[in-house]
Amino acid sequence: MSTAIEVIDVSKAFIIRHNRANSLKSKVIGIFHKRFREKRERLWALKGISFNMLPGEALGLIGRNGSGKSTLLKIIAGIYSPSSGQVRLSNARVGTMIELGVGFHPELTGEENIYLGASIYGLSRKEIDEIYSRVVAFSELDSFMDTSLKNYSSGMQARLGFALAVNLDPDILLVDEILAVGDEAFQRKCMARMEQFRRAGKTIVFVSHSAEDVRRICDRACVLDFGSMVFLGKTNEAIDRYHMLLGAT
Amino acid sequence: MSSVYRYRELIRNLVFKDLKLKYRDSTFGFLWSLANPLLVISVYSFVFGHLLRVGTERFPYFLMIGILAWNFFAQSLMMSTGSILDNGNLIRKVAIPMEVFPVATVLFNLAQYLLALVVLFPLAFVFFGVLPSWTWLAFFPILVLHVLFTLGACFVVATATVFYRDVRHFTEILLMLLFWLTPIIYDIRSITPSLQSVIYLNPISFFTLGYQNALYRNVFPSLAEVGILVGLSVLMLSLGYVLFTRLKTRFAEEV
Repeated sequence: MSTAIEVIDVSKAFIIRHNRANSLKSKVIGIFHKRFREKRERLWALKGISFNMLPGEALGLIGRNGSGKSTLLKIIAGIYSPSSGQVRLSNARVGTMIELGVGFHPELTGEENIYLGASIYGLSRKEIDEIYSRVVAFSELDSFMDTSLKNYSSGMQARLGFALAVNLDPDILLVDEILAVGDEAFQRKCMARMEQFRRAGKTIVFVSHSAEDVRRICDRACVLDFGSMVFLGKTNEAIDRYHMLLGAT
Repeated sequence: MSSVYRYRELIRNLVFKDLKLKYRDSTFGFLWSLANPLLVISVYSFVFGHLLRVGTERFPYFLMIGILAWNFFAQSLMMSTGSILDNGNLIRKVAIPMEVFPVATVLFNLAQYLLALVVLFPLAFVFFGVLPSWTWLAFFPILVLHVLFTLGACFVVATATVFYRDVRHFTEILLMLLFWLTPIIYDIRSITPSLQSVIYLNPISFFTLGYQNALYRNVFPSLAEVGILVGLSVLMLSLGYVLFTRLKTRFAEEV
């Protein structure tokens, strides 16, 4: 069986800029005045991460704040490019759920936002036509489709965003803490949907702080600390390891 | 560039979003976008045509051609300073071929340019008796080259603004200077040869002259003129595209 995701020795360095020269003006001033010159520092957010995932597997990424788990997810998604190493994805459709309702515009109606939001993920008009009714049904917002998004409550906006995200129907799902938003009922609905994806044999990479959610969804988990992978294996053992890290500080 | 085609639905939606947002809640909608060029054309016609008596025939029509083409270029450029930066939230959350943003910016302004032409040409016909000529056909290839040239320049500006935020102000000032170095208000034939050679240093002049030859002087462009326009647009587009694609992997971290 071919792998769904291959992460090969991925490292990522961010340049931390002190006195950031983000204008031509400050760049020119920096030539003459040392005090205003930009100072750069290299921060390794990820160091030599490697793992493989088979289709249908669900992997949890856990770790403390700043451990690099979101950066890793963004590299897998292709948002950041790795400083070294590479990521190979099987030729499947990748859905990134880092934030709900990305690209939604408050002045546009619900319907217009569904078309705009879906096209951001590269769907064609025909594909959006096909999923449109499912998105509306899932969001339970039929009667608000011709209303501007600015008149939606924040809960309604989250529902529309989530309805769109889960109906994009990707083969590989990259999920980052979107479950943290919304009330309990909403979170339950999200988790139920994630389990449904799981049963449908989707490949899932799941970033979360919640040990409970990771336990429910993932069969394997990876613990990151200061950009290094300190553990990769069974979810229960990974969570124990994570709790040890939390206890150590 | 193939990914740009795959994301054509997104480009379409971005263009329509901007058009809708601009005109949805105003009573006269699109007509508002004509207010600015109409006013500029009227004021310049009065000041240069009546007060200073430049003596260019059918002067408002002459101005219209130059100003609408200039507005397309200048507004595309100004808008593209934000086309990556203002979409930062999107770029940090979804993997997206970022070329779509400058492309959408240029297409939005192209739509406005064409709409303005469609409305103003009948006016030129009514008030100045401007009649179509076969040379008008040259307008379309010139427009295509002008769009490619503009897109190239927008790639440069969009990229530069990500790294240096004040490129926006710099662009504004540069455009103001370039406006007067382009033969929009004055006929190139009415200035001294030494001044003409200065005007020819400005690449945008060649596009303006191309439009004027086709639509105003009713002459077809010479082979040399076509060659210059093709050369300029290919050069600008390659420069912009290479710069953009070489630096785009850093956009998500910089915006």
